[in-house]
Amino acid sequence: MTNGWIDIKNTDMMLIMGGNPAENHPCGFKWPIEAKRTRNAKMIVVDPRFTRTASVADLFCQIRAGSDIAFLGGLIHYAIENNRIAKDYLVNYTNAAFIIKPGFQLPGDTDGVFSGFDAKTQTYDKSTWNYAGADGSVIAITEQKVAEVGAHPEPASPPPALALPEKLAYDFSLQHPHCVFQLLKKHYSRYTPEMVERITGVPKEQFLKAADLFTSIRKNGDMKKAGTIIYAVGWTQHTSGTQIIRTAAILQLLLGNVGRAGGGVNALRGHSNIQGATDMAGIFDILPGYLKVPTPTDTSFENWMKRLTPKPAKPLAWDSFNYWSNTPKFAVSLMKAMYGDAATKQNDWAFHFLPKVDRNFSWAYIWDNMYRGIVKGIFAFGMNGVAIGPDSQKNIDALKKADWLVVGEIYPDETSEFWKSPGITADEMKKIQTTVYRLPCAGFAEKDGTFVNSARWLQWKNAALPLPGDAKLDQEILARIYLKVRELYQKEGGKFPDAILHLSWNYTNPQNPALAEVAKEINGKALADLEDPLTKQQIKAGQQLPGYAWLKDDGTTLCGNWLYSGSFTEAGNMMARRGTEDPSGLGIYPNWAFSWPANRRVLYNRASCDAEGKPWDSSRKQVWWSEATQKWAGNDVPDFKADSKPKDHMGPFIMNPEGVGRLFVPLGAMADGPFPEHYEPIESPIENPLHPQQSTNPVVKKFQTEADKFGTAKDYNIICTTYRLTEHYHYWTKNNPMNVQLVPEPFIEVPAELADKMGIRGGEVLKVTSARGVYQAKAMVTKRIKRMTIDGKETYQIGIPIHWGYRGIAEDEGKTARTPANSLSPTVVDPNAYTPEFKGFLVKVEKA
Amino acid sequence: MSQATLRVQKISGHAGSVPGEDTQREFTVCKLIDTTTCIGCKACEVACVEWNDLPFGETVFDNTYQTMPQTRWNYWNLILFNEHEREDGSLMWLMRKNQCMHCADPGCLAACPADGAIVQYTNGIVDFQQANCIGCGYCITGCPFDIPKMNPKTHRVFKCTLCTDRVSEGLEPACIKSCPTGCLHFGTKDDMKDLAEKRAKQLREHSNFPNAGVYDPPGVGGTGVIYVLHDASNPEIYGGLPSNPHVPWTVKLWKGPLKWLGNVAMIGGLIGLFVHYLRYGPKAREEEDIGPGGTKT
Amino acid sequence: MSHPEQIIPHGHILRYNLRERLTHWVAAASYMYLLATGLAFWSPWLFWMAVILGGAPVSRILHPWAGLIFFASVWMMYVMWAPQMKHTDADRKWWAAVRYYSTNQDDKMPPAGRYNAGQKFLFWGFFWSAVALLASGVVLWFPEYIPWNLRFLRYLSILIHPAAALFTIGLFMIHLYMGIFAERGAFGSVIRGDVSIAFAKRYHPGWYDEIVGESSSPRK
Repeated sequence: MTNGWIDIKNTDMMLIMGGNPAENHPCGFKWPIEAKRTRNAKMIVVDPRFTRTASVADLFCQIRAGSDIAFLGGLIHYAIENNRIAKDYLVNYTNAAFIIKPGFQLPGDTDGVFSGFDAKTQTYDKSTWNYAGADGSVIAITEQKVAEVGAHPEPASPPPALALPEKLAYDFSLQHPHCVFQLLKKHYSRYTPEMVERITGVPKEQFLKAADLFTSIRKNGDMKKAGTIIYAVGWTQHTSGTQIIRTAAILQLLLGNVGRAGGGVNALRGHSNIQGATDMAGIFDILPGYLKVPTPTDTSFENWMKRLTPKPAKPLAWDSFNYWSNTPKFAVSLMKAMYGDAATKQNDWAFHFLPKVDRNFSWAYIWDNMYRGIVKGIFAFGMNGVAIGPDSQKNIDALKKADWLVVGEIYPDETSEFWKSPGITADEMKKIQTTVYRLPCAGFAEKDGTFVNSARWLQWKNAALPLPGDAKLDQEILARIYLKVRELYQKEGGKFPDAILHLSWNYTNPQNPALAEVAKEINGKALADLEDPLTKQQIKAGQQLPGYAWLKDDGTTLCGNWLYSGSFTEAGNMMARRGTEDPSGLGIYPNWAFSWPANRRVLYNRASCDAEGKPWDSSRKQVWWSEATQKWAGNDVPDFKADSKPKDHMGPFIMNPEGVGRLFVPLGAMADGPFPEHYEPIESPIENPLHPQQSTNPVVKKFQTEADKFGTAKDYNIICTTYRLTEHYHYWTKNNPMNVQLVPEPFIEVPAELADKMGIRGGEVLKVTSARGVYQAKAMVTKRIKRMTIDGKETYQIGIPIHWGYRGIAEDEGKTARTPANSLSPTVVDPNAYTPEFKGFLVKVEKA
Repeated sequence: MSQATLRVQKISGHAGSVPGEDTQREFTVCKLIDTTTCIGCKACEVACVEWNDLPFGETVFDNTYQTMPQTRWNYWNLILFNEHEREDGSLMWLMRKNQCMHCADPGCLAACPADGAIVQYTNGIVDFQQANCIGCGYCITGCPFDIPKMNPKTHRVFKCTLCTDRVSEGLEPACIKSCPTGCLHFGTKDDMKDLAEKRAKQLREHSNFPNAGVYDPPGVGGTGVIYVLHDASNPEIYGGLPSNPHVPWTVKLWKGPLKWLGNVAMIGGLIGLFVHYLRYGPKAREEEDIGPGGTKT
Repeated sequence: MSHPEQIIPHGHILRYNLRERLTHWVAAASYMYLLATGLAFWSPWLFWMAVILGGAPVSRILHPWAGLIFFASVWMMYVMWAPQMKHTDADRKWWAAVRYYSTNQDDKMPPAGRYNAGQKFLFWGFFWSAVALLASGVVLWFPEYIPWNLRFLRYLSILIHPAAALFTIGLFMIHLYMGIFAERGAFGSVIRGDVSIAFAKRYHPGWYDEIVGESSSPRK
């Protein structure tokens, strides 16, 4: 979230799309309701189904799963056409005025791809995706390509050098035909209401109602009101997932909603700590604090830093904070946290201990590699790999080929019992040689530590219950495995023991480190006496750091994650704070827990003021320029250089080297285009009406095993989407009698019109088949999914909640054991975030 | 039930005066359910089961998100899900939390013959005392909302207590505590009525609900649970919420006129026969010898 | 038609055989129980009756079963006596003269058969009340199983049951009064089964004639 849950109460307009917060985030959903109740805020819900969220919406549009970019692109088109845009904001805070290199071409002009596409390798040469320089000078920023599956690129091959110009050409009148704004306008001019209707199935009048309502906050250019966009995995789980979110960001920048109370682009996290997992590098290509992992081309710490640290790129008269220029401070402090005294300037801060990632290790790739016999074993902790899919059968078959599987769970689950998945024969079972180790883990209520919520709050929690039976805390299990591995390396040497042997492990109880101790390490501390040259404030060696501004690149600080610095200071555990004071009434609650970064509640909040530093809306004052103190002041922590005068025109988007928000994403940040373009899901009922010859995302690559099968509209005529229910939580709660009482068994939501056509009655068992698998459950016939007309074709969507499988109370009683819903979904991933396409694939429906 | 601070003002099946009868009520408590902000998350259902320690029951799939068709003796709080098409073709998914309405004139209490099995406290809560319940089920007939449910094993009737045990200790009912969206409110009847009317007005003026209104049916003297409805002119669409609920007239007839008539007739009959005997005596007094068996009677 | 076998020694006539008497007393016993428990549920002032009869919940459980027994015995009576309970011209005359009957001027009454019109009324009153009580009683027995959309059945039953019961109470009071206080000999007849010939002649001359097989003139 750029903003936060509570901040939603400040909004005037909500677009909830690709998410069903009433269903999946009912506690957070109090804030949208609060906005409706106290501000008469409007809520627009766009979803393939009429959901619980839709039930309290002011306007609902039923959209075809996987057509979100078309809908949002249509909104962009509508906003520009009707001049419902934030002109000053656009000019000053976005790259709307910047001129793009002459060679750049839009997909509307080039048969559906951007300039630079190489059909053979399915990749883009992104050199034209760049700003035009004002004087031709360039700064080298190298782009690292992630290698393909299993390939080992030559470490010596020099990466292609792509660069942002240091001084950018611009046209503040936004009239230059090759300025970002004009290109944007041209690109989305194709997303007319008629085209939106053809692609999304939302009738033109309905779409226009939604467009008029959403953009009404910028009627006559008035900047007072703010609108928010709220989404979840209904956007991310597509082969254009990242680009859908980009489209939302563009729309919000156009309307001047980013950085503002009640505005922003807000991702709702579907697990209590998924934000924390991401921040702490639960993804293969980043280190804690979103530092990109080294690759084989990073031959030294210096090279690595050179690649990661951008230089400002801006119109000459403007200023840019370019906060990532501090990357070396974050990186050195991280290395000190990992390797302590073993990380010195002389040994490149132990850079050579870090693995150099040479291929894609994202989720689907790991399982694909296991399926292909390359990955031999897997630790599955708090993660039911078989059920979370996609393509459960492929994952089950992958586990059959593995040598070993270690499961850390509180219940036996589909993964730990993969060997008795439905349909398996006794003979087949005998052939499985995988050794399964089950470790008894602790449940969330039995552990202390932190949850980082969608609002980026680090909230400390205490254990509520003692550990049952032989259950162990995660950190004890991991520590003991680590210590054992270290012991083996000590005894037996091995190929590269240093990275293991030198790991800093200075915990009071090395066998079971206290999480508070780990949290202090993540916050960071001084390794030498430090002094702030301006304020003369001093920090003694060994003391906790008050924040990441103190981090050094000379080895005198240690910090496990720069974003979390300030969460556990000398004043104590900031994450355990429970202050309920809210002096501004904006729901900032500065003394409640700790919100990264720097306890800031709304990101980019400098943009909540006009260029002079005055808030757009005086009733929602977040930060402002104080003439008296010549500093930025605020109810929230200003997301800005504290003493940068408005006349210096420093951009509010300080994490971009341009200092502004990106309508156009230059160079390599996106794999599939600087502007989002609608591409059909990999399995789609129609050819892309925008460019039938390039129907799907051109850079999406399919896996090549025999399990990776895809269906066509000829054989599979129904669109299927998957989701969760309020009553259940993923695959655990089928072990809890209360949840089982609420929703006792799986079902398939079927449009009443389709049911009529096929003669299906509610409660009848249906068989749903995709190219990959079969799923059976009872039909829930409902008016909440309607027949759609997609590009002139009668089309139906069905929905399947994901929660069931072959392990649980009812399943154990033999009542409803069945294949997981993800037996149907395809293993095909978004090219930017590698998220599988769980939403919007093709199936056929029959009576069982 | 903890009744520490609860005074009774009405008692079922009770002979004689009621201790709290006609005392000035300081305030009546009230639960406000704003159906327009309910998201059907069922937190209230779970909270109710957990706080009241109700045993789990089996449920079956019934082509709906609704947990079960109706409340049960061990499930006092049930959100009813209804799909409703408006005249303009748009769909509404109505969710209404259904439970005891805590009527000011409770039909259950009126119908109940068991002394003290149903009481109404001065704060308005209608509470079943299972220790006094005889399992006759008359309350089921007396209730216009189909709320009291019998445990078939113990033959005792149960329903929502409005968490009397919590309320008497100054806490809100468990369902209120658990509601994430704040669609549930708890306070005095006056305050809740006021809040509800304001919300209904807001819905009429700012949302597309010209018929929004408050449900506080006068037929049962008003209720201790009131609703804000999108369309107060048609409460039936919310899972059969009666538009004009009242204690069934047969129950009223039975407990009113018929009772008087019956009592008068019975007592009058006894007196009449007595008088008759005094006046006319037995029929065959002069022929005592004709007693059965030839014996003298 | 004469039934000399009903004439027993010592100038008595068998009025009720054992089956009839047993049936009567089963009905009577169950009715007494139903009356006591029913009245307990009828009025809070009489609730103590249920309490002393083993507690109100027990009363609630047994009342319907007693009701079934009562109905079964009433049904038996129907089978035994219904043919004799047909309304006749004699009954019409009887009703016309009922004021003499109620003022003990029985000599002014038209002759009655085995059962006079009042007894027949009692019989049919009890019979139809029992039917109504059974029908409404079954609904009241299992109110929780009556679906919501058939709730009018409950509403109806809750009115019919006490109304019918009240009616039977009226009949019962008269029956008791007649049997114990007014018609000496009647009570014994339903215990031992016989009545004196004089009793038969006086109250049921038609029946007497039928048994002795000769015409009997009204007593002067």
